Amino acid sequence: MLGRRSVTTALAAGMLVSGAAGAKTIDFWIRAYNAGLAEPLVKAYNASHTDQVKLNLVPNDQFVTKLGTAIAGGNPPDVIAIDLIYVPSFAAAGQMENLTAQAKKLPFFNQLSPSHVRLATYQNQVYAVPFSAEGSVLYYNKGLFRQAGLDPNKPPRTWTEVYNAAKKITALGNGVKGFYFSGACAGCNAFTFMPLIWASGGDVLSRDGQSATLNTKAVKDALGFYRRMWTEGLVPSGAQTDNGANFINAFTSGKIGMTGSGAFAISLLKSKFKNIDFGIAYLPGQTSGWSSFAGGDSIGIPKGSKNVKEAWDFIQWTLSPQVQTEILAKNDTIPVRADLAQNKYSKTEPRFVTTSTAMAKGRTPYSVHYNELFNDANGPWLSMFQRAVFKGEIDQAVTEAQSRFTQILSTPAPGAR
Amino acid sequence: MRAHPLPAHPLPRRRRAATVNTLYYALCVLLVAVFLFPILWSALTSLKPPSEAAATPPTLWPSHLVLDNYATLAGYGAGLVRYVGNSLLVAVITIVLTSILSLLGGYGFSRFQFVGRNVLFVVMLATLMIPFQSILTPLYLILRAIHLQDTLLGLALVYTTFQLPFAIFVMRNSFDSVPREIEEAALIDGCSSVTLLTRVMFPVVLPGVVTVALFAFFGSWNEFLAALIFLNDSDKYTLPVMLLNVQSGLYGSVDWGAVQAGMMLSMLPCIALFLFLQRYYLSGLTQGAVK
Amino acid sequence: MPPVRANTLNPPAARSRPRSRSWWRKQVGLLFVLPSVAFTAVFFLAPLVMTAWMSLHDWPLLGARHFTGLQNYAALLSDGNFWSSLGFTAKYTLVVTPVLFVLAFGLALLVKRSVRWVGLFRTAYFLPVVIGLATSSLLWVWLLNDQVGVFNAGLAAIGVIREPFQWLATTGSALTAIVVMVTWKMVGLTMLLLLIGMQAIPEEFYEAARVDGASPWEQLRFITLPLMRRTFALALVLSVIGSFLAFDPMYIMAGGGPQNSTITTVYWIFKAAFVQFRLGYAASLSVVLLVILIAVSVVQLYLLRDDTRY
Repeated sequence: MLGRRSVTTALAAGMLVSGAAGAKTIDFWIRAYNAGLAEPLVKAYNASHTDQVKLNLVPNDQFVTKLGTAIAGGNPPDVIAIDLIYVPSFAAAGQMENLTAQAKKLPFFNQLSPSHVRLATYQNQVYAVPFSAEGSVLYYNKGLFRQAGLDPNKPPRTWTEVYNAAKKITALGNGVKGFYFSGACAGCNAFTFMPLIWASGGDVLSRDGQSATLNTKAVKDALGFYRRMWTEGLVPSGAQTDNGANFINAFTSGKIGMTGSGAFAISLLKSKFKNIDFGIAYLPGQTSGWSSFAGGDSIGIPKGSKNVKEAWDFIQWTLSPQVQTEILAKNDTIPVRADLAQNKYSKTEPRFVTTSTAMAKGRTPYSVHYNELFNDANGPWLSMFQRAVFKGEIDQAVTEAQSRFTQILSTPAPGAR
Repeated sequence: MRAHPLPAHPLPRRRRAATVNTLYYALCVLLVAVFLFPILWSALTSLKPPSEAAATPPTLWPSHLVLDNYATLAGYGAGLVRYVGNSLLVAVITIVLTSILSLLGGYGFSRFQFVGRNVLFVVMLATLMIPFQSILTPLYLILRAIHLQDTLLGLALVYTTFQLPFAIFVMRNSFDSVPREIEEAALIDGCSSVTLLTRVMFPVVLPGVVTVALFAFFGSWNEFLAALIFLNDSDKYTLPVMLLNVQSGLYGSVDWGAVQAGMMLSMLPCIALFLFLQRYYLSGLTQGAVK
Repeated sequence: MPPVRANTLNPPAARSRPRSRSWWRKQVGLLFVLPSVAFTAVFFLAPLVMTAWMSLHDWPLLGARHFTGLQNYAALLSDGNFWSSLGFTAKYTLVVTPVLFVLAFGLALLVKRSVRWVGLFRTAYFLPVVIGLATSSLLWVWLLNDQVGVFNAGLAAIGVIREPFQWLATTGSALTAIVVMVTWKMVGLTMLLLLIGMQAIPEEFYEAARVDGASPWEQLRFITLPLMRRTFALALVLSVIGSFLAFDPMYIMAGGGPQNSTITTVYWIFKAAFVQFRLGYAASLSVVLLVILIAVSVVQLYLLRDDTRY
């Protein structure tokens, strides 16, 4: 580690000395958007251990690009926290250390977030453990509910109720709209729209992730539900081109009745938008039930790390009760262990109980092609969504997506043979 | 760029000329507004309080000017000073290398009929046609092989190479525009090639060097993709990569004020340097683009 | 001035003559260009050779690679994404180039006069050129944004529109937004190149024409345009190469949307490599693009070849 010398000498030293010598330094990469969570965690670790963790923030959208290049160039980091959906493809490509033995030794292994563990398992071997948890839920603006004559303590529980509430709120006028989604953001709609399909008994992929199941009534009805709200003007026109920049910004403007989002927005709203009285409900099914997208990050060790043992020590430490409670829960983040879901901090914020329940019961599609199918801004998932919702060509959109999904799923996993 | 007095028109045409003149100036000023507005609007927004910078619809005039957005940036990650320092270091190395290499290369291509001259020149220029996004992975492997991966020096070497085709082109033409007599006189006085280049020619082609250096600065200061891929250590990130982190910010909540402050930071040095050196730059381009 | 010149090869007879002293002196030039050539060789040619080599493999970003010969090239012929990206790249180039040149030529004529303040005008029109392309893409995304963007707010304030206009909602308006941004940013450079070309034309030509009673239009048509061929060629080749390699504006402004209609070839290469992890396939796309670009540039230089000397 470089001391606090003048910037130029530090830089010169940094340029000449590649790779620090001496105590073990664990190179830890995360998505920039997790900085708020990871920074206090790393600080705490470095203060109490001889091995030091070096945190690297990688721009969200370029994480996979950068990591892939580093692995291909034989220079991977020691620990990575990646979006849990990427673990299957990295594991299939043989790029992750097999952590089965160590993970199964953990006394609380069966308390770990089930979705994370399922996604981290490839051919019965475990390649990562949960790092941060996230569940999608429905946010609603209680103030607007009151103004529109709706009961702020009775959030909608079916699509019809969502639609009716959105209609009443939009009728308030003055730029207020009943509902919001980011129409040009693939990931946002996987997170908040897919649960509507699940809750209605449908799915996008088969359980084993080998085939597409889009051509069903549940998928078409869900698209039709959004389409109806769009054509009737219950959603701001800006939704069509929002690539995620306004995913939560729209709601924080105070002019949106309801939107799907995740637990991360709670602390943002509480700290920066105190004027918005918001409630949290489950993302409902067509006529009953609810579901949630269990998201978040998994933490693992890329193949080629030179400090596997030290890396595992650090990973194990992140799952300890004091970290899960005193660092994560204290900073409004859901613990990844079911046995720690109820803690002294969750008791002070009932809305967190909703998000952790949602997360624990939530689902996540499993595919080694997840990136190409769902996360790619130009991939078939978003194309289907946009064509159906904004053009109204629901049947064609679903048929096209089903065939593009099938084609992608038929190719071997990247790097796997 | 100095104004020359217009030739006096005969009297009867004066009124029409005045109208034309007024129209001319109106059009030019209108265009100035069109070109400068986006930059000025961004500058103004960066000085608004964060809540006003993110207001929908945007507020016209800030209630008061504050540096809050810049303060937000200053504390980001390893600290703004570090990132700006990294960017500056890369820019300086790139500028120095590009200037020296293109000065030598331009002289060589301009003054010597060596074997393979045209082929080499065309190959140098053809590199303009390679989409560098597609050679990122091989470049990464090469940098690793020469132990310069994850170093600012390695990044600067890559940037220098990006800059060379244009730089060599400009410098060759700059040298081409230097009268041969200067050289011949110097050679008769018994100068060596090196002395000739440094003492006699350099002052003449200095504007070309400034042009090349400025372009090298603009190129290296603003590049983000290669910097992101080649630098593993986030303490070595350059300003554009750090701004990418700021822009992606928290999922679905972009701090527009901080983004505008970041943009100002990337624009201002470029604008300031250009304004400061534009006289050289223009004559350099004139020398360098037209033979 | 364009780099591609007809190069008459030495007749074989000339080679067998003993090397004269002046011949050796000429070879000194090699020493001067050597450093630049070395840089180009290590950081451009070597990666290019590696790219060509990679294009003959199934080369995933992660995992094992296999030699597949020309399979990637066969696959690319039937790859609809590649052809549509090439189509969009060509379309974009065909739209942006004339817009850029007509406006740049107009601006150059405007600031050619030696009048008061003209230096200021030139500087102002050129200023966006010095900003990075990524920065200016981001700047325009923000200006055109429906929520916080100033354009929609301004238009709404004067009552032109009621709902914010969604620039990136349709292919046409997304392309327009990109072309507007690129023009704003690049027109100053083209203007300057054209201006330099204009100023190189000796004033006597115009005086002689005026004496012959040529109108301003005729002067433009018979003096300015023909004598600026070379400048046009240079500016055109540079600008077309730039358009063909466009990536940042589409990536940052439109994300390739709506419905993948604004994906350029370089964007597709980037996606093949870093979204689908198919480095070998991406390499074969790059090789094809390079061949196309060289062909396009040679054709342009041939069409604009210039035999006038003045």
